[in-house]
This record gives sequence, structure tokens and C-alpha cells, in this order.
Amino acid sequence: MKKTTVLQVCVAFVLCSPQAVTGSPVDCPDQDTAGTSCTISLEKLLERAVQHAELIYRVSEESKLLFDEMLISFGMNLHVPEGTMCAPKTVPVPMSKSEIQQISDKWILHSVLILAQFWIDPLVDVQTSLENYENAPSALVNRSKWMSSKLMSLEQGILVLSRQILGEGGLALEVPEETPERFVSSSSFETVRRDYSAIYCFRKDAHKMQTFLKLLKCRQIDKENCTFF
Amino acid sequence: MRNSGAVLILTFIAKLISQAAGVSPPGKPRLTSCRSPEKETFTCWWEPGDDGGLPTTYALYYRLENSETVYECPDYRTAGENSCFFNKNDTSLWVNYNITVVATNALGKNISDPVEVDVVYIVQPNTPENVTAVVVHDDQGPFVRVSWEKPRTADTRSGWITLLYQLRVKQEKDKEWEEYDAGMQKYYNVFSLHPDKEYMVQVRCKPDHGFWSKWTQTTYVKMPNYIPRERSLWIMITIFSVFIVLILTWTLNVKRKSVKLCLLPPVPGPKIKGFDKQLLKSGKSEEVFNSLVIKGFPPTTDYVDLMVEYLEVYDNEEQELVLDGKDLSEDCMKSKSLSDSDSGRGSCDSRTLLLEKCMEGREGSGSDRHQYSQHGETSWASSESSESQGPEPGSPESTDGRVKTWPVVFSSPQPQPHHHYQNGAVKPAYHSVPEILSHLSPLATPSNYHQLPPQQEGRFSKPACRHSQSYNQFNLDGVNPPVPGVSQSHSLEYVEVQTVDPQNMLLLRPLSDPNREPEGSDYAGEDYSRVKEVTSNNILLLQREMSHQCMNDYNQDLDSQADQCTTQQPPHPCKPAIHQLNSGMPQEVMRVMGNGYVDSTVLMPTY
Repeated sequence: MKKTTVLQVCVAFVLCSPQAVTGSPVDCPDQDTAGTSCTISLEKLLERAVQHAELIYRVSEESKLLFDEMLISFGMNLHVPEGTMCAPKTVPVPMSKSEIQQISDKWILHSVLILAQFWIDPLVDVQTSLENYENAPSALVNRSKWMSSKLMSLEQGILVLSRQILGEGGLALEVPEETPERFVSSSSFETVRRDYSAIYCFRKDAHKMQTFLKLLKCRQIDKENCTFF
Repeated sequence: MRNSGAVLILTFIAKLISQAAGVSPPGKPRLTSCRSPEKETFTCWWEPGDDGGLPTTYALYYRLENSETVYECPDYRTAGENSCFFNKNDTSLWVNYNITVVATNALGKNISDPVEVDVVYIVQPNTPENVTAVVVHDDQGPFVRVSWEKPRTADTRSGWITLLYQLRVKQEKDKEWEEYDAGMQKYYNVFSLHPDKEYMVQVRCKPDHGFWSKWTQTTYVKMPNYIPRERSLWIMITIFSVFIVLILTWTLNVKRKSVKLCLLPPVPGPKIKGFDKQLLKSGKSEEVFNSLVIKGFPPTTDYVDLMVEYLEVYDNEEQELVLDGKDLSEDCMKSKSLSDSDSGRGSCDSRTLLLEKCMEGREGSGSDRHQYSQHGETSWASSESSESQGPEPGSPESTDGRVKTWPVVFSSPQPQPHHHYQNGAVKPAYHSVPEILSHLSPLATPSNYHQLPPQQEGRFSKPACRHSQSYNQFNLDGVNPPVPGVSQSHSLEYVEVQTVDPQNMLLLRPLSDPNREPEGSDYAGEDYSRVKEVTSNNILLLQREMSHQCMNDYNQDLDSQADQCTTQQPPHPCKPAIHQLNSGMPQEVMRVMGNGYVDSTVLMPTY
């Protein structure tokens, strides 16, 4: 009898609390959750965003290295690309730590959002273009795919974050939709050049995003320490 | 035109002069590296080229990406000689700097190659600080805990820069360092260090994207002297197991024998009667198995049928039934007539018909003996009967007659398949005989049997004529087959050798024949002897109650057998004694036949 009872209880536990089993980070304390779904805490959100950005940056760095190798194998030498990709965006993004420390959280979020939104399309272009190459290493192609997908999820995360930190409608969603000129490649050389510059510049911007988010996290979580300097 | 030409000439001359004087425009400087310790400022160093003998000044110019404005280095001093320091305000991240250095002297200037720098990727932090290494004592054993602090300038707290640490350890004498990755933490526990040794420890760090810092100054730590618990445990286990092994060895040693018995049980020898191990080892399986077979056992004949005259046939190489040995028979007859029961030729005289072939100088005897021995103790009786049957064709007279067999003694170890016992000759009342025979270690010494008869019978006939031989011959050489066909009637009828033809044919005459000599007439059932014992010489001692002397004499005679057939005269007195014996005491008394043969079948219990 005892055994069966225990077994039943266990089964009930298992069935009725899948979330407990999976250990989701969603906190649902005894709040009045009538209608509203459980939300993730800000801390966890920021943590996830930072992790995302770090990972994206690492992958972009690897992509750049792979591209360099590929160029060497092609026999080309594109030392420093000169393209519009790395040009400052429409909204000025802070360039130094001092600048960053001076701007508000809102601006940080804004900057990150702009960057993320800027790069989604070019990455997709790069990915399709890479697939057309003759001997593009599959690692490079896979990474570009991965980056574009992860960037989209990061963008979503930033939106959620901004909603949480800044409240609804905090972000001026009036992002001037300046569609960057679609570069129509005339020659393969130009295409390669363009792709390389895209990856090169994206690497920088990924680092920017990562840094901004880290700073933001520090500010939100540990205000006293971060306002030093 | 003239001016340009003049200018050219002038410059050329100036050059020559300057070269002669040792002065020249400066060489090309080179930017060696640019580093940022905390991603907030950075410094660039260059290497001056040849100064050309004149005081040269260097200037660093930089240009930001996507901008044509050229700036000069704001600070030439802070970072030392030939360096340019960019402070926080001048440092922009994620922007490429295009930097060049220009060397200028009185005679000219020289521009270095441009270098693109992005501050984010040239971060090389300072070394970690305050490295301490402490020995911590633990249950498992002591270990070293190394701890340090971040470089002062790095702002890891705000997450502006993320540092990864690494430490390395070695002993003074080691060549290679042992490296450990500590991740982002600022301490590390080092295990598995050897006791009572001094170690050197160093730490360095790196941003998640950037360059490794330099190693810190060496920190020394000394491990205390301790015995690793593992080792002491192993020592104990080893000692214990050695101890147990010793005890086991000693126990085994003490109980050596029983262990040996257990592991290697002695192989039991064959316990089959009549089984001779030696013969088996020698590989003659035929003989071995032959000796096992007891032909005619249990005996199927009547007691009455024991009274059989045996045919003694003496055969030569042809292995014919010596029945044909006429001359032999003649001799035999002669001897028979002359001999008495002790003569050894009694077989000739008696009803028992000895078929012998006394060839001159029975050289073959030896070989015959061999043959006999090969076949084992083909029992006399069996052999006799069979053999005697076998060579029948040569002697038609004997066909009808029974063959007197010497059943008792030889019947038992009958390896040969011919079953003369069917003749009724043998009644396996030979109960005792087999036992006796077995004592003889039968297989091993087939010759025993052979010996017996010859020695015995040799008396009766020319000694060289080994009666046994003859018998054996019959047995061995496959003369057997015809035997069964020529089966004798059940009742034993004895035949007697009447004469021996010149052609070595034995003329047989059945005992019932009135012509036969009266000598053996009443021998049937009388003239059997009982085997008393077997001596060590493989001699059958037949029991003669009435006349021991006779037996002794016999034995002696036997021993002194010569190869040649020489008649020997057994002491006559035995004969009549034997006769006396014969009557009426079949069970106990040894039957001695007139001619000296003993028939111990009578003494056997009848079946």
C-alpha cells in the first residue's frame, strides 16, 4: 500500500510539474498572474542578452579568420576593406568608454538595437553570397547562417529588455528606416570584397553590442560599482 | 631646363658631399607595436631608422577611419622614448586608426609604412598583482592555493573588460612548466604536488579577445613532508597480501601430498584380470586383448568330456599339423613304448596323442617359441584341440577322433578364438587353473605356458620337441580356422598316435580302437594331474600326492632340457604310482596319466 501511494505521488509530481523538472528560469512567485504570463527577471534577461552578444562576437571573429584564410587561398589580399559598412550609422554610436559612461541606459539600448537591426539583412546577403562561392569552407557558411539567426533573437531580446527597463513605448521606435544600398556586385572580385567588408565590420559591431550590453547589465544590477569612473 | 639641370647637379654634389661627410636623410622608421592595457588608452612604439648622422625628429600622425583629418600624437613623453600615448579622450573604439611616423632631419624626412589599428583588438593587460601561494592542509592531503588580484588598470568590475587568468607551476629543476587555466576566477588549487619540494608559481591574464599579459614575478612555495594516504594504504595492502601468500605457501607445503593427490590423482592401473600393462605399453594391443579373452568360459563341456586325449602336435615353420610328422611319430612311438610316465615322452605313449614333429635340431624351436609367446598363452587345451583340428587335413584318421586336449592348464588364458572347447574337450572346470595362470602374470610371460608343456612334455618326447611348441604352433598360425569346421563330437574321444610316417604324418588311432595300446586304456580320467603351484621360474608344479618324487624329478628333467629331442626316462616308479592314484579320486587327487601327464581337469569343479 505504501509503495503504491508513494508511486502515485511521484507520478503526480512528475506530471503536474514539468516546469519544476525542467527548471525554467521563469519566476512565478505568488503574483497575481491573472491573464499575464510569467516573465523572466531583468537580471536573467540581461544575462542572456550578454551571453548572446558574447557568443555572436566570438563567432564573428572566427568567421573573419576563416574568410582571411579563404582569401589567401584565393590569392587575394584585402587588407583593409573600405566600405560603407563600417561607416558610422545614422545614429551616432558612442565610441569611447567615456562616451558610453556618459550616455544613459536608454541610449545604450537604443544603440544596440540599431546595430542589431542594421546587420540582420546584410548578414543574410553574405550568407547567400557565400553559398555561391566555389570553395567556400562550410564552416564559414554555417557560421554566417548561425550569426544571422542569432542576431534576430538578440534583437528580440533587446526589445524585451527595453520594454522592461524603459517601460512600454520607451524606445523611440522611430528608427529611420534607411535601407542601406543594396550593393549589386558587378564582378566576383567586388562581391568578395563586399562580403569581406561585411564580415569585418560586423565583427566590430558585434563587439560593440557586447560591450554595451555588459555595461548595461552592470548598471542595472550593480549600480554602485558601475558608476565608478 | 638649365635650372633643373643645375639643381640636379647640385643635389648630386650635395649628396656626394654629405655622403663623404657622413650625413644623410633619416632612415625609415618603423612602428613596432601598439598596445592598450585596458581598452581605454593605448600606446604606440616605433623604431627609428638610421638618423643619417644628423639630429632627427620623429612625429606620429594618425588618421581616423573614414576621415581625412590628420592628427598628431598628443603625448610623446608618457610612454617613454619613441612612443606615442593616446589618452582616453583620444581613444575611440571600434574605429581604425591609420598611423604613420615621420622622421625628419636637416636633410630630409622619411615616412614609415602606415599601420591600421583598432584599439579593441590590441588589448594587452598588465600582469596580475599580489600573487600568493599558500599550503592548505586537508584530509586528503595538503595542496597549494594560489590567489592573485587583477591588474590595477583593468576595469573588470563593470564588465568593460573580461579577463581570463592562467598560472603555471614547476619545480626549480624541471624544464617544463605545468600550466593551469583558472578562467575568470582569481584563485586556484593546485593538487598532486610532491611532498617536501619547492615550487615556483606564476600568473598571467588575457582579455577575452586580445593578447596575453606578461608573467608575474615568481612566487615560491614549499610543500610539507607528508606521506600520501594512498601510498600508505597501498603499502599496507601489499604487506597484507604478501603475508597471506606466505601463509598459503606454507600451508601448501605442509599439505604437499594431499594437494598433489588432489590435483594429480594417480591414474589407476588396469584391474582387468589377464590385463598386462607391459604388453599394452609395448603397443601390441592384439596380444593384450587376446589375453583378456577367456575362451570357453564358462565352460560348456561335461565333466566327462574332460577326459580328452590331447593331440600334441609338433610343428615346424610350415606350421602344419605335425600329424604328418611320420618320423616324429615313429620316434614318438618308440619312445612311447620305451618310456614310462616319467619319461617325458609319456605323451607319446599315452592315450593322449602328442603330435609332434621332432625335426632334427629343432632350430626352429626358438622361433617357435617366439611365436608362441606372441600369441600369448594360447591355452593348451584350446590350441590343442583346435590346432589339432586345423591340420586335420593331413591326417584323416584323426579327424574323427577327438583330440585329447590338455585342457586344464591351458584352457583358461585362451586368447585364441578357436573354441576347441566346443569339442567338449575342455570343461571349464578349470576353475583353479585360471587363477594359477593369472598368477603367472599371464600376458607378460606367455612363454610360461610354453615352458610348462615343453618342460613337461619334453620328457615325454624328445626334448627338443617342445610339445608346447607344437601346440602353440597350432594355435598361432592361423591354423585355427578349419578347426571349427572339423568340430569334434562332444564326447571326448582320444586319439593316440600310432605311428609317424616317414612323411611326418602322425597316424592316429582313436583310443576306442582296440588296436591301441592298452597302456593308456584306463588312463582316461585317470591321468590328470593337478597343478600345485607355479614356481618362480614359471614352472607348473603339478601335484602328485603319491609321488612327489616324480614331480621333482620331472621338474629337474624339465630344467635340464636340451634342445634336441632326447628321450628322457622319467623314473618309472612314478608311473605305477600314478596309476594307483588315478582311480577314484577325481576331485582331490592329481591324476597322473601313465605317461606322466597330469590332467587336472578332473580336479576342477564341474559346471
